[in-house]
Amino acid sequence: MVKRKVAALEKIDADFASLQYKIRRDPKSYKDDFLKQWEQYEAQREIFFTSPTTAAADTVESFHNMIDLIAHVADCYPEETQTFPDDLKAIVSQNHETLHPELRDKVVGSLVLLRRKEVIDSTSLLTTLFPILVSSRSKSMREMLFQKILSDMRNSNSKATNHPLNRTIQAVLYNLVTADRASPRAIWAIKLTRELWKRQVWTDAKPVDVMKEACLADNEKVIVGATRFFLGGDKEREELEDESSDEEIDLGKVKHQIQINKKSKKQKEAYRRAVDKVKKQEKKKSKPHPLNFSALHLLHDPQEFAEQLFTKHLQGTKNKLSLDTKLLVLQLVTRLVGLHKLTIVPLYSWFIKYLTPKQQSVTSILASLAQGVHNLVPPDALEPLIQKIANEFVSEASASEVAAVGLNAIREICSRQSLAMTETLLQDLVQYRKSKDKGVMMAAKGLLSLYREVGAEMLKKRDRGKDATMGLSSGLMKQRKFGEEEVGGIEGLDLLAKWKEEQRKRKRAEKGLPEDGSDGSDDDEKDAESDEWEVDSDDSSDSGEWINVEHSSDEEDEPAPKKRKGENDEEDEEDNAEDEAAELERMTKLATTTILTPADLAKLQELRAAASVQKAMGSRLRKRQQQQANDGTTHRDDGLTAENIEAPIRLRKLTKEEKVALAKEGKPDRDEHKSTQAIRKSKKDAAGKSTSNREKQRKKNFLMTLGKAKSKQKRSLVETRKVLRGHVERSTRGGRRRNGT
Amino acid sequence: MGSSARKKQEKKKDFQKPKYKVGKAKPKASNFTDTSFKSKAIVMNQQSLSTVAPDVVQQFKHNLSLASSSRSDKQRRDALAYLTSQLSSHPPINPVGTNILLSKLLPLISDSSTPVRSQLLKLLRVLPEEEAKHSTEQAIMFIRAGMTHLSADISGDSLGVMEWLLDVAEDELVTIPGGWVKTLSTFCVTMGWSLSSAAHGWTSAARSSLRAKDAQTLARQISILSRFLQAGLRSETAAVPSTEEYWDSFYGLPRSSNAFEYLNLFGSRRDEEGEMYPNREARQQVFYRRFFEPVTKGIEKVKKEGGAAGRAAVGLDQVLKDGMGDYAASAGMDAQDLLNLW
Repeated sequence: MVKRKVAALEKIDADFASLQYKIRRDPKSYKDDFLKQWEQYEAQREIFFTSPTTAAADTVESFHNMIDLIAHVADCYPEETQTFPDDLKAIVSQNHETLHPELRDKVVGSLVLLRRKEVIDSTSLLTTLFPILVSSRSKSMREMLFQKILSDMRNSNSKATNHPLNRTIQAVLYNLVTADRASPRAIWAIKLTRELWKRQVWTDAKPVDVMKEACLADNEKVIVGATRFFLGGDKEREELEDESSDEEIDLGKVKHQIQINKKSKKQKEAYRRAVDKVKKQEKKKSKPHPLNFSALHLLHDPQEFAEQLFTKHLQGTKNKLSLDTKLLVLQLVTRLVGLHKLTIVPLYSWFIKYLTPKQQSVTSILASLAQGVHNLVPPDALEPLIQKIANEFVSEASASEVAAVGLNAIREICSRQSLAMTETLLQDLVQYRKSKDKGVMMAAKGLLSLYREVGAEMLKKRDRGKDATMGLSSGLMKQRKFGEEEVGGIEGLDLLAKWKEEQRKRKRAEKGLPEDGSDGSDDDEKDAESDEWEVDSDDSSDSGEWINVEHSSDEEDEPAPKKRKGENDEEDEEDNAEDEAAELERMTKLATTTILTPADLAKLQELRAAASVQKAMGSRLRKRQQQQANDGTTHRDDGLTAENIEAPIRLRKLTKEEKVALAKEGKPDRDEHKSTQAIRKSKKDAAGKSTSNREKQRKKNFLMTLGKAKSKQKRSLVETRKVLRGHVERSTRGGRRRNGT
Repeated sequence: MGSSARKKQEKKKDFQKPKYKVGKAKPKASNFTDTSFKSKAIVMNQQSLSTVAPDVVQQFKHNLSLASSSRSDKQRRDALAYLTSQLSSHPPINPVGTNILLSKLLPLISDSSTPVRSQLLKLLRVLPEEEAKHSTEQAIMFIRAGMTHLSADISGDSLGVMEWLLDVAEDELVTIPGGWVKTLSTFCVTMGWSLSSAAHGWTSAARSSLRAKDAQTLARQISILSRFLQAGLRSETAAVPSTEEYWDSFYGLPRSSNAFEYLNLFGSRRDEEGEMYPNREARQQVFYRRFFEPVTKGIEKVKKEGGAAGRAAVGLDQVLKDGMGDYAASAGMDAQDLLNLW
């Protein structure tokens, strides 16, 4: 075929890409060309709209090209292209089902492009795209739309939170969820909300509200999605945050590499970027941590929500949810009950029929039950449950794993509400600590040690242990009554009070006043306060002073009272008790009568740390501290899982696969039967590493070594000595090249 | 170092002469590619076998589909030639009807191959005028798209199609919805008589090119525009009212396609551009408001340039004077004011 001759200019003009480039470079001069193309676009649009469904391939393609061109240059001619975004919106929202896929994608892409060029605003873009996302039947289209919507939301919230936009979209999502509870469309609201929650774009109560409504939907998929959000959304968020903060850049390394490698513009650019990133990270570090509440805490009226969830999805006989879904909902309900200390009395009797060893996934049901118990649950609602667990699970006849699970579940329940246990049952269960199975034995011991602390009276005397017996006899340890709360306080406040007292005494001593003078001059105190308001100023005044080194007379005195200790033991204890009461009073007084300054708080922190170090010295105190640490590992916000209820993995018998996996760990692959050395060597070769010196020596050509061996034999004694000396000297200096120089 | 002997051997191999031996096949070159293949069956993409030759109707339809959708431009051209010959025979053979034929073939106005376009024009010329009239609305859309096409060749050829349409159905062309204003604005844009930029600043963008070919095209454009304006602004003489027609308008069945189009019962709301301008006065009004100034300016400019384009411009000027001479801008309310009130 002979090619038609084309003039150079024409050839170039007939190309959309170059025209676009020219227009964008110089919009004014190419206005005529643009207007022509705009006319062309109008004509194409008209042609297209006569039959959008049956348009021919080349019509579609030319329309596609026109849309592309005009979207790219729309920002150069805002007046002429005023109607363009509306046209696109109309095209895609009316015909998205029947449109050619490429054209459809192009229209959506052009709309997003217009948004990026700020021809249209986010709200109008998202309100166009979202209905299509919800109603479209094409999977690829939905995927693309979801991505676009998400990225637009992120972009518009990147610099500062775009409250109006967020409010609009949240309202749209809320309406979508509440409009038709049976439709699966709400899944998109859930996906979007979860994604934005994960990326911390949305952190307020409104998205939680959307999810709450979704939990109460009729569609199972929607319920599962929303429930999973409450159970795992916050953890996901934390993980993402950790991940993003993990990548630390070692600036020194980058600098070093630049010195070694070839210097190029790319390297320089990489270094500049690294510096930027490090700076940004530092800035982020110094910023105050954003206060992010978890979704469970942001719920409005959790009591009603939990009740609705329970009655709608669990209680009735009509609901047709699968067991897995039910378990998820159950987890959420009990989590809410435990966290917010809600009261849903029918919940506990509901559990009864599920508490048999043959029930599917009974461990997670037990975990949910334990999680749903708190100290304000009436003990008589729990008593039958515990009785049933004991009867069904814990007996000589049942398998040891089952018994262990039952005991663990009972322990978890009782650790939250100790009053639910009866004396006879407890004494029975404690007997299992003599069991031969380790899991059962440990579980029973756990129960025992729990009751030694919270209800030692219920145990037989010989089971109580030393601490509990002593505590009972001195009256310090009492079983807490129903609804009784521990008196709260600020940890270490007593230490601060003591320290303040000492400071005051010392100041007075310096001025020559009697140490115990109760009413000091007001000016003096004011002085002190203004001095202590700022943390830094306090420190500087400290550093300037002389440090008082006291002669420790206490240590010398100490042995004497020790001798008398045996006689006055009881007295001492009474004294101690009184002292403690007084201390408590003083402590609360300090917190209620004065305002703690930042300096005070800093000091408090310091004292607390010092006290904890001191505590670690005494063995009895250490035990208690350990216990506290153990309590600290499981936060009250975290839920209880089936793994907590089951015996620890190490106790359970391993399956064969697990054993094999354990044995294989850390050993090289053994596809062929070779020595470990050979395998290692082949690995090294594959990685492209070189051989060791020793290996080189071994592989050296025989002929090359021959000459030296011959001459060695002919050496005189003097020559040999010289060689040997040289060897010694070389080794002391660190080789021929001298290490370190 | 240990492998140097082997490497040397390998290097040497490149320069060794292959030894040919009698009775043995020539050794294959190192870069030999085996292109032979085995297959149990050869699959044809499409195959139509029949014992009888296809009849005329079948052939016509086949060629029509080839012309409208074949990928090869030669095939398209040949199919169009076949259709032309069928249509020009006596009596013309057209089993599908002019309307369907046109709806299939009009997209070829912006076809990328020149022979196809010229063949299309030939085909259009042999179509019966009375029947082609009814597809005016469709045709003008494709013509407008062709006239504004990026490629100069296509826009030049679509002027020919425009000429054909003016020959066939000039009255319909100026009265159908969008036929008057949209076409006029297309003309203005293609000639570069900008509508919106009413001289902002001192300099206007120079015409991008003043080549000989462009001047020719411009002359052609102007002459066709003058024909178009002539058709639109021609003075109408009211027909003598006859009683028969009067009663027909009430009780007779309308004979034109889509007789009540002006009511726009089913379409979307029309704007100024898509509106129908059924009589001369309405056309004059909208022309005066939107196009009179740029067109007169453009004429002045082209007149100064002279040449073929200048001569054509003189003709256009004459047409304008004839058409707009009796028009006085009325202070009354027109359709646009009503639309703005909406």
